[in-house]
Amino acid sequence: MIIKLMVNDKMVERDVDPTKRLLDFLREDLNLTGTKEGCSEGECGACTVIVNDKAVASCCVLVGQVNGDNILTIEGLEKNGELDIIQKAFIEKGAIQCGFCTPGMIMSCKALLMKNPKPTVDEIKRSIEGNLCRCTGYTKIIEAVQQIVEERCNNE
Amino acid sequence: MRMSLDIVGKNMIRVDALSKVTGKAIYPADVYMDNMLYGKTLRSKVPHAYITVNTKEAENIDGVIKIFTCKDVPTNEHGVVFKDHEVFCSKKVRRIGDPIAFVVATDIKTCDLALEKIKVNYEEIEGVFDPISAMKEDAPKVHEGNNIMYHYKLRKGDTEKGFESSYVIAENTYKTHMVDHAFLQPESGVSYIDEEGRVTVVVATQYPHYDREEIARALNISEDEIRIINASIGGAFGGREDISLQIHLALAAKEIKRPIKVVYSREESFISHSKRHPLIMKYKTGADKNGKLLAMEADIIGDTGAYASWATNVLRKAGVHATGPYYIPNVKVDSIAVYTNNPFAGAMRGFGATQPPIAYEQQMDILAEELGIDPITIRMKNMFKKGSETATGQILTESVPLEECLNKVLEDMDLNLDRKGAY
Repeated sequence: MIIKLMVNDKMVERDVDPTKRLLDFLREDLNLTGTKEGCSEGECGACTVIVNDKAVASCCVLVGQVNGDNILTIEGLEKNGELDIIQKAFIEKGAIQCGFCTPGMIMSCKALLMKNPKPTVDEIKRSIEGNLCRCTGYTKIIEAVQQIVEERCNNE
Repeated sequence: MRMSLDIVGKNMIRVDALSKVTGKAIYPADVYMDNMLYGKTLRSKVPHAYITVNTKEAENIDGVIKIFTCKDVPTNEHGVVFKDHEVFCSKKVRRIGDPIAFVVATDIKTCDLALEKIKVNYEEIEGVFDPISAMKEDAPKVHEGNNIMYHYKLRKGDTEKGFESSYVIAENTYKTHMVDHAFLQPESGVSYIDEEGRVTVVVATQYPHYDREEIARALNISEDEIRIINASIGGAFGGREDISLQIHLALAAKEIKRPIKVVYSREESFISHSKRHPLIMKYKTGADKNGKLLAMEADIIGDTGAYASWATNVLRKAGVHATGPYYIPNVKVDSIAVYTNNPFAGAMRGFGATQPPIAYEQQMDILAEELGIDPITIRMKNMFKKGSETATGQILTESVPLEECLNKVLEDMDLNLDRKGAY
């Protein structure tokens, strides 16, 4: 089946088995290995990508289901060599340890900030409830998003 | 003159932060090579059985390159301290998840098909699943000889006399459970022969040097013919200290001379790697009328499952830390590691020092309650200070800021405790 979709602002057209998982399509067909596989059943959130402004577990989506959709992965956040504000905040706050949850965490936070520029702590927690971290814990990750919100408020 | 500190006390940016927020960090599963094959492991479905394995039908499947079993391994053993694991089980499986064979094929689906077609005949034998039963003379034996694989003894003073002079004695048994590290990145790796002819394994490991030693031993080649490349590690917490797929991958690359990739599923990750030792801790602690500790006895039994892994070190540490941070003049500790047919236990954050606080801190609370003093007072009375002697006879000559720490906690908690009464 010919699949046409936008991935990180680029049109991608491939002849691919529509029952292939979006995760495998990204990693194997497009070589976008920044999206990670942790549990294969939508529990851990390491494979989170954004489909049409919504954070989804790409291990639970088939590529045939996203035909014509707009996909954003961790590789698509950097613009013109400039890191996304969330990537910067994660670095500054030390919200990274082993790094395996990081791409998924960042994509969940990105989806949140896309529709809600100034989320509350509860809203931040809710947005990453589907992402597991086993090293650093969640405090620094929440703080990283809070820092963005604070900066936005201060700049007003 | 004060030392100027460039790093201590400052927030430093991790060197790998940039690669990790951009998705560029390479974990073993992110490695794809030309001409690459895939590997999958056949694991025991039963906890204790004699086995015979027939791979003939599976070998004839289109796309299957080779199936490795114990016959293909020059030295079929490994283990971080004791070489009690087999690379592939030869006669007997000792736990669910024991590796029996390793299929290499052109793709993962063919690997799965081959796994189904390998015939394993299990002649099940009685297993033993709790360490207390396993310690009995007539218990089924997990390995040759006794199931008790380690016994650490600590003796200080005379506990009998200590209990005789005690005003109050607490005697209780505490149990902790098995825990999985659940590191977020399941085991994965890629092996190949590099440009200098070395067997190369890309893996996420806590011990690249141990891995190299273990591969050299199993394959009967020298260490300089092996290269371990430690990729980004998606969490470990002790769970990547034992061999998982390293020897399987090295063996396959050496024989087939093509790149081979293995990625465990979350389920296989859970089934195959070590756990935190569940401990049974029988404690007897005595104190005088004022709450001063006089004697403690602890019998600690650790279930190490089918393999030793770090059991000796973990149970020794549990024994050494059995008193907690409290000075006790008379101490007797027996800390024992026992083989069972459960998942094997090994290193996990704390390494045996994590479980005993469940016991000794509750003992403190119970003694305080019986004496009618509050739990903080009894701790203040007994805690290690500079110059204290531990149960192992170590004099703590350096900074021991425990009292300062507890006081600071109390300050911040702003507890208006009646420090004399129990609550």
